[in-house]
Amino acid sequence: MTSRILVVDDDTALAEMIGIVLRTEGFDVLFCADGALAVEEWRSSRPDLVLLDLMLPGMDGIEICTRIRAESGVPVIMLTARSDTADVVRGLEVGADDYMVKPFNPKELVARIRTRLRPAPQATAEVLRVGDLTIDVDAHEVRRGTAPIALTPLEFQLLVALASKPQQVFSREMLLEQVWGYHYKADTRLVNVHVQRLRAKVELDPDNPRIVMTVRGVGYRAGSIS
Amino acid sequence: MIATSATRLRPASWRSPRTWPDALEVNWRRSMRFRATAITLAATSLAVLVICVIMGLVIRNDLFEARKDEALHNARVAVAQAQRVVDAGVAGDDRATLTNLWNEAQRELGRASSSNLIVGNLAQRLGEGYTPLGFGSLQLTYQQLSNELRTRVQKVPTRQAWQSIALPHGDRPASAGIVVGQMLTIPDVATYDIYIAYDFSDADDTLLFVQRTLWLAGLTLIALIGGISWLVLRSVSAPIIEAAETSARLAAGDLGVRLPVHGEDELASLGRSFNAMADSIERQIKELAELSLVQQRFVSDVSHELRTPLTTIRLASEMINDQKDDFDPMTARTVELMHTQVHRFETLLADLLEISRYDAGSVQLEVEATSLAQLAEEMVDQMRPLAQAHDTELRMVAPGGYSPVDMDPRRVRRVLRNLVGNAIEHGEGRPVVVTVDSNQYAVAVGVRDFGLGMRPEDAEHVFDRFWRADPSRKRTIGGTGLGLSIALGDAQLHGGTLQVWSQLGVGSNFVLTVPRSGGEITGQGPIPLEPEEALADLGTLTQPIRLGRDGAPDDDGEEGR
Repeated sequence: MTSRILVVDDDTALAEMIGIVLRTEGFDVLFCADGALAVEEWRSSRPDLVLLDLMLPGMDGIEICTRIRAESGVPVIMLTARSDTADVVRGLEVGADDYMVKPFNPKELVARIRTRLRPAPQATAEVLRVGDLTIDVDAHEVRRGTAPIALTPLEFQLLVALASKPQQVFSREMLLEQVWGYHYKADTRLVNVHVQRLRAKVELDPDNPRIVMTVRGVGYRAGSIS
Repeated sequence: MIATSATRLRPASWRSPRTWPDALEVNWRRSMRFRATAITLAATSLAVLVICVIMGLVIRNDLFEARKDEALHNARVAVAQAQRVVDAGVAGDDRATLTNLWNEAQRELGRASSSNLIVGNLAQRLGEGYTPLGFGSLQLTYQQLSNELRTRVQKVPTRQAWQSIALPHGDRPASAGIVVGQMLTIPDVATYDIYIAYDFSDADDTLLFVQRTLWLAGLTLIALIGGISWLVLRSVSAPIIEAAETSARLAAGDLGVRLPVHGEDELASLGRSFNAMADSIERQIKELAELSLVQQRFVSDVSHELRTPLTTIRLASEMINDQKDDFDPMTARTVELMHTQVHRFETLLADLLEISRYDAGSVQLEVEATSLAQLAEEMVDQMRPLAQAHDTELRMVAPGGYSPVDMDPRRVRRVLRNLVGNAIEHGEGRPVVVTVDSNQYAVAVGVRDFGLGMRPEDAEHVFDRFWRADPSRKRTIGGTGLGLSIALGDAQLHGGTLQVWSQLGVGSNFVLTVPRSGGEITGQGPIPLEPEEALADLGTLTQPIRLGRDGAPDDDGEEGR
């Protein structure tokens, strides 16, 4: 099955070039050049992944990402000309899974897209437990008691990565490699921001985490089963 | 610097008497007001002293003259009265009568002279009969009078003669006075020289009183003038001090400060000129700052605007480059050139953007505890392929620097990549040594090459943007010319330093020093800037240390992972 990718970028030349690159790689590509129409386009086409430029006419990428996240956990990769802290962090905070700074190379783009579309194979155990949560890996479901908790695929993957090896402390670099597919030093803010987002959803008290524990100076580990 | 120049205007402390001479000296040098007041006081004191002394003398003189004239007059009147008594009462030489007459004359003398200090002395007998003898008083005796006075009195019987005299008062100190001498004649009996002394002690009292008043008035005057000049000078010096302090604050960067302007006088005009100057400076600095901001924003915007088309070009270039095997050799080479130059363009743009961030002051560190030794080891491993391409041996020596120190690892890695890259490029194939060490204040990494080196005057410029030691030098790694500027910016952002040592034909040494958390670099850094070892000594260096995951050296010291 070919994956459908929505490219939201007002620079038609770049959008077309990205289209060429992705089609060469066998993806199905849709375009939207107007921020104001992007959410509507996404609703009607339901793509498997969104490539979202941050600076758009009509509605900016941050706002679009916020609205998409309100309805779906579809993978969103931001494209940005600015790697400045504020922009990127804002994008990640509203739920973008990953970001790419222009100019990027096509192989990197394709690798990032593939990582997001085909999550790495998870742990063998079908049901994982962490804290008071039950994770059904096959069903892609997380429950506290009987109440399901909605997570994006990325957040789910992050939680499973931690829960599958409850004894292990994961450094940010290890998580970047396992969850985001980076095999080199990348931006650890990705991990920080998404751990915060995950905690906001799964922790009873995000200020006093029980599920995703911080290990100072090293990284994170899963909380003990309760 | 500003603060001291402002405090200099304030007078020194007067707290302890021991410091007074110093305080005086300091005040004399530093306080215009103190100096002017002191000079005024000294001049006034001198004038008052002279005036008082002269006036004292004049008054004493006048007082003495007046009292002397009075004494002479009184004495003349008294002697004349006594003479009249004597003249009227002469009746033979009957002893009792004479004695009575003499006594009468003496009483008259005492009454008319209004002095009780009278001495009479028998000067010459005129007849053969009884002659009364002279007389005296307790306080004044004939012996106290000088011979000169006696002679003068006796020589010219019709004239008065006088002399100053000290009058004893028993155990009290003698008081000044004069004694007037004149002749009295009992016709046909005898002549007497009469001396009447007048005590001037009351005049002395008056004089003392007048002089005391005079000195008191003088001192009051001095105090008054001192006070007045202090006050007057304050009205002048206070605005000057304020102007100096305001200038200092302006110089320190507080561009909003202004001097208060009152009235129309010279100080007001000073204030107005100063304020005009401050306005002008503030305006110009603001304009410059705005200009600089506009410039920075422009560079940043241009860099960003260039990125989108560059992305398209890059994507296209990569796509074509992937298929270059299908092209004829000339097209393939063209594609290759385009591909590498797009890369170079991209690096340049990234560096330019980074520099513009430093200029705008919008760079933020993302600090985490990092082992510099481990980071350097990883970096050295990453650079090995490049080193091998240049037939260069990369060595790592890390006697210290293992414990984590707060730093932004991405930036430090970038600095190291830059330094090691440069060292390999300019190392002429000789070994490049990366040293990591630490002390209690800082961690440092040194990158030493034994290549061409630079002249010291060139070494000063290595951190300048787009600067190249030798324009004709070949570029093999293709740096942007901004790398070291950015590296320096990164070092400074950490509160650290990036220094260079270089000698032509000997090589270069770059040392990055980063202070431990929240500290400052104190004293000498962990790695000396000027390297001690020559290339020949390299053999004695510790062999490369392999770092384990935990940051401690492992046993296996094999080179080249």
